[in-house]
Amino acid sequence: MFAVIKKELKTYFYSPVGYVFIGLFLIMFSIFFYIDVFQYSSTNFEYIFYSGATILTFITPILTMRSIAEERKNGTEQLLLTSPLSITKVVIGKFIAATIIVIITEICTFLYFGILCFFGKPHITTALVTLLGFLLLAISYISFGILASSITENQIIAGVITIGFFILTWFLPQFSDIFTNFSLINMFSKFPSGQIDIADTVTYITFTILCLLLTVIVMQRRKSVR
Amino acid sequence: MNMLTGYIEQTEGEIVIDGYNMLKKPKKAKKEIGYMPEGVPLYTDLTVKEFVTYMAEIKGVDRKLRKEKVQKIIEKTGLNDVQKKLIKNLSRGYKQRVGMAGALVGEPKILILDEPTVGLDPKQITEIRNLIKELGKTHTVILSSHILSEVSQICNKVIIINKGKLVAIDTPENLENKVSNNNSIYVTVEDTENKMKDIKEKIKEIKKLELVEENEDGTKQYMIESKDGVDLRKILFTELAKENITIFEMKKADSTLEDAFMKIIEGGNK
Repeated sequence: MFAVIKKELKTYFYSPVGYVFIGLFLIMFSIFFYIDVFQYSSTNFEYIFYSGATILTFITPILTMRSIAEERKNGTEQLLLTSPLSITKVVIGKFIAATIIVIITEICTFLYFGILCFFGKPHITTALVTLLGFLLLAISYISFGILASSITENQIIAGVITIGFFILTWFLPQFSDIFTNFSLINMFSKFPSGQIDIADTVTYITFTILCLLLTVIVMQRRKSVR
Repeated sequence: MNMLTGYIEQTEGEIVIDGYNMLKKPKKAKKEIGYMPEGVPLYTDLTVKEFVTYMAEIKGVDRKLRKEKVQKIIEKTGLNDVQKKLIKNLSRGYKQRVGMAGALVGEPKILILDEPTVGLDPKQITEIRNLIKELGKTHTVILSSHILSEVSQICNKVIIINKGKLVAIDTPENLENKVSNNNSIYVTVEDTENKMKDIKEKIKEIKKLELVEENEDGTKQYMIESKDGVDLRKILFTELAKENITIFEMKKADSTLEDAFMKIIEGGNK
């Protein structure tokens, strides 16, 4: 499994993908930071992450769309499936590698926390809780992205499915209240105020496990039905 | 092939590799196999060394021995000069070698190579063939190929599968002998007086004499079939000389694995 994580991280940084993801996130984050801090003169670090969640919704596919789709297209999937490695380990390896990229991005955002320290007194605990919530949102996004990547051979389609699903869960609550509890991005809203909501945390984690499990099943099934 | 390597699960039957059932103990069974798929898929973003190391890692080569073993295999497959290059910048022949190195790592007992020489130039083909021959000394190599001359050159056992059914399993020599017609000889002669027709009466052993083609320079090629177990070449040589027919070329008809293959496949289809 560590071999897969190592190799995935390597490819993230040998190809532009890793840099594009981190760079794009930080550029957008900077813009929202500027608007929040200088336009509204607030020294609140946490509230920028509402915008951060929006950015994440659109750029997660950059990380995940190629993970399995590309392997299948190039045929390198054969190398993995004929090795003694189990499918579960491959999927979890890919998932952890993408999560590490998100963690690196989160560490980069501490730069803004440092800047804010010059202007006011931001709370470190609420900031950490926000980052935890952001990470939970990210892992559920990534796991769905990997699932989308496993069902198609085409990276673009995987990416579009991913974004489409996220936008759907984002806007569905506007049509009916029933969907509020299913909206991934809405569940994030409590974290920036410093609360860790158990229900939300559990939902994120179970959603992640569900998606990863489905990915394993999709790959396993493709192996036996052809 | 895909089923043997555990890429697809079989619908019926059983796959046992070195005593391990592929469905029940996939981990152990897969460890005994080194597989180079058709088209040689590789991680083109990695360097040769990184790729081989990665393959060693996913095959569970012991951490302490990994470095040494990877280096050994890189040297064995002749990749020493390019080990720090990105795979995407390598030529087709080198990529094939990298694929081979990936299959070899972890010391599997069985190597499965799917069309290892497709798309290579003649020099690369001989190199890869020599490498396979070399590997055949220490591993069991299963090779699938459409190039039958290659098969007869490097393999010591041939399995022909037609439409999913095993139709022949034998050594290449035996298969060739099965269909060979060792009794025919091809002769190219200059025969200005058209005496070749009479030759048949003169030599009793000739069963059949047939004109194959007339060349532009006035020579003619004949196919001569003798009765069983008679080598006509010596007799022909002296007799034709007596008749003032000059022999330009004389050769025994050799049957190849291709002929054997065609015959077996046709026989199976009927």
